[in-house]
Amino acid sequence: MDKIKKLVQHISSLVPSDRKIKIMNVCGSHEHTIAFSGIRSLIPENLEIVPGPGCPVCVCPESDILNAIDLSNRDDVILVTYGDMLRVPTKNGSIRAEGGNYKMITSPFECLQTASSNPDKKIVFFSVGFETTTAPTVALLEMGVPDNLYILSSHRLTPTIMEVLVKDAEIGIDGFIAPGHVSAIVGSNAWNVFSEKYNIPTVVAGFEPDNLLMGIMDVLWQLKDGKARTSNVYSSVVKPEGNLQAQRLMDKYLKVSDANWRGIGNVPASGLELRDEYAGKDAKKVFELQEIKEDRIPGCICGNVVLGKAYPSECKLFKKVCSPRNPKGPCMVSFEGACNIWYKTN
Amino acid sequence: MAKIEIGHGSGGRLTKDLIEGLFLKYLTCDELKPLEDASYIDLEGHRSAITTDSYVVRPIFFPGGNIGKLCVCGAVNDLVVSGARPRYLSLGFIMEEGFSLESLEEILKSIGDTAKNAGVRIVTGDTKVVEKNKCDGIFINTTGVGNVIKPLVVGGISEGDSVIVTGTVGDHGIAVAIAREEFNIDSPVISDCSPLGELLMPVLKIDGLKWMRDPTRGGVATVLAELSGHSGLGIEIFEDKVPVREDVRFISDMLGYDPLYLANEGKALIITSSDSADNVIMTLKEHTLGKNAEIIGNITSAFKGVRLRTRIGGERVLDLLEEELLPRIC
Repeated sequence: MDKIKKLVQHISSLVPSDRKIKIMNVCGSHEHTIAFSGIRSLIPENLEIVPGPGCPVCVCPESDILNAIDLSNRDDVILVTYGDMLRVPTKNGSIRAEGGNYKMITSPFECLQTASSNPDKKIVFFSVGFETTTAPTVALLEMGVPDNLYILSSHRLTPTIMEVLVKDAEIGIDGFIAPGHVSAIVGSNAWNVFSEKYNIPTVVAGFEPDNLLMGIMDVLWQLKDGKARTSNVYSSVVKPEGNLQAQRLMDKYLKVSDANWRGIGNVPASGLELRDEYAGKDAKKVFELQEIKEDRIPGCICGNVVLGKAYPSECKLFKKVCSPRNPKGPCMVSFEGACNIWYKTN
Repeated sequence: MAKIEIGHGSGGRLTKDLIEGLFLKYLTCDELKPLEDASYIDLEGHRSAITTDSYVVRPIFFPGGNIGKLCVCGAVNDLVVSGARPRYLSLGFIMEEGFSLESLEEILKSIGDTAKNAGVRIVTGDTKVVEKNKCDGIFINTTGVGNVIKPLVVGGISEGDSVIVTGTVGDHGIAVAIAREEFNIDSPVISDCSPLGELLMPVLKIDGLKWMRDPTRGGVATVLAELSGHSGLGIEIFEDKVPVREDVRFISDMLGYDPLYLANEGKALIITSSDSADNVIMTLKEHTLGKNAEIIGNITSAFKGVRLRTRIGGERVLDLLEEELLPRIC
């Protein structure tokens, strides 16, 4: 408690009184800690901690979910995916509401059991998320997967989208709290580009409130110095080089591709798809899935929330027609979605 | 066309909307109006309390209890927290064709043992059987009647009162969630399912006791949010004072649950005047079920709603349970 008090005092003393400071977190679990521990209530008002694109469910393109719904309605397919994905709304409803054969998993390795106990079915693993969930998926491929298991990859790259955000002057990011789990895979060196090329302080932080406050303090120090660094206050878990074996496997099975982000649009070199030599495992190729044009959800500002351009409470649907029980937009679905978190804590 | 959703049974916002928006439209009387867990009724001069509840818990057997123990505890506790001594119970069974007689016997044994332990008599019952797949094993309804020792109403609560919880929160929710085997977790957490008569009857004698409630579905947070709504007063809760077992906290973190919203089946929230709070705590701690009792907050008129002072001194709002965390928790 004393430590927290000191951190908060020091943070308050570092915030200039004459301007706003905007620090973005890029991880749903960070936003969760910030909101649930009430960090915003402790710091000066002109120090904004904004949630960015840290929730994989929120940015998964509608097209992939629509294709997943269609796949689950085929007699020969069982779709498996993470629980949150089942509830994400699309113009045709959610997987849970409109899907046929689907199964929730908590770890990709559960796909193996589903595949072996349903030898006459094609098991499609709808694999979404950032580097953190990409790693176990490629580990699964490395183990050798049964013939009847296919991957529908909707994986996205965190550093790429962060660079898009930095270039957008409307957002005006002064510093990043870099995602702890993603950093464990890609390494803290992956963020050097932000300090070196854009002079944006970037600090890798963990998930306890005191560690996050240390991260915020570090960003403020750097801003005061006027010289950005990449630093790491979560070094017990995150190494500069990251998890080299995971990186090697990701490179072995996946290639970087242009990819759509829900509410944002197409971002060059921001997605991962299976390499051509593994096309036989790629559900998009095997089932000849087509890209379906995304429909905007009337009134929903999830796109701007993900980009840090708006707070959830600025949305006209928020707490009126959009709630965790009845989500209209993707950010209201997951425990990591900014709208879901804000709904419960504000 | 609007339909019943699973969340209408959550005990949270959707349940409240359904009851206030539809049930009360056609069914209303003075006794029902307070919408407490039990109602006060007059039986030719004898002040009594009556409650009813249905049990659909899945799985039927879970660590620390089963649907039989649960249905007795549920009715008994609703009476006790209403300031009544539980006396009589009715039981209504709906069973699925093919349900194991051995399981039924085990459930009945639990019912018998728990009723004896709680000092209530089962005086009437009913059994119905439906075809296979028309219900899930067994559902039980109980109605409980007790005599009122001290009527407890929201109107008695005022600024400065203390909020007490009688023990660790979230045990039942986690025990049942893990028992469903949807998550590959081994856990030592057992349900807190217990009758609270012995623990709470001595508390009823304490001057300054204002109100009690057992925080079942929707957990501590939902009960407090409802209380704040009914009383028009604010409630401040201190996160570091709320007792939570370490394993419950760990599993909750992993699964994305908040222990404050998890169901309890052997705990009570107590509102008491601040000068009687220490006495209440001392009295609770004399019983094993109350050894972890804590003052967790206070009633205030400085704001409306429920605010949690977090472990690090920050602040956040606690509202009614919004999402259905675990359908069929009791």
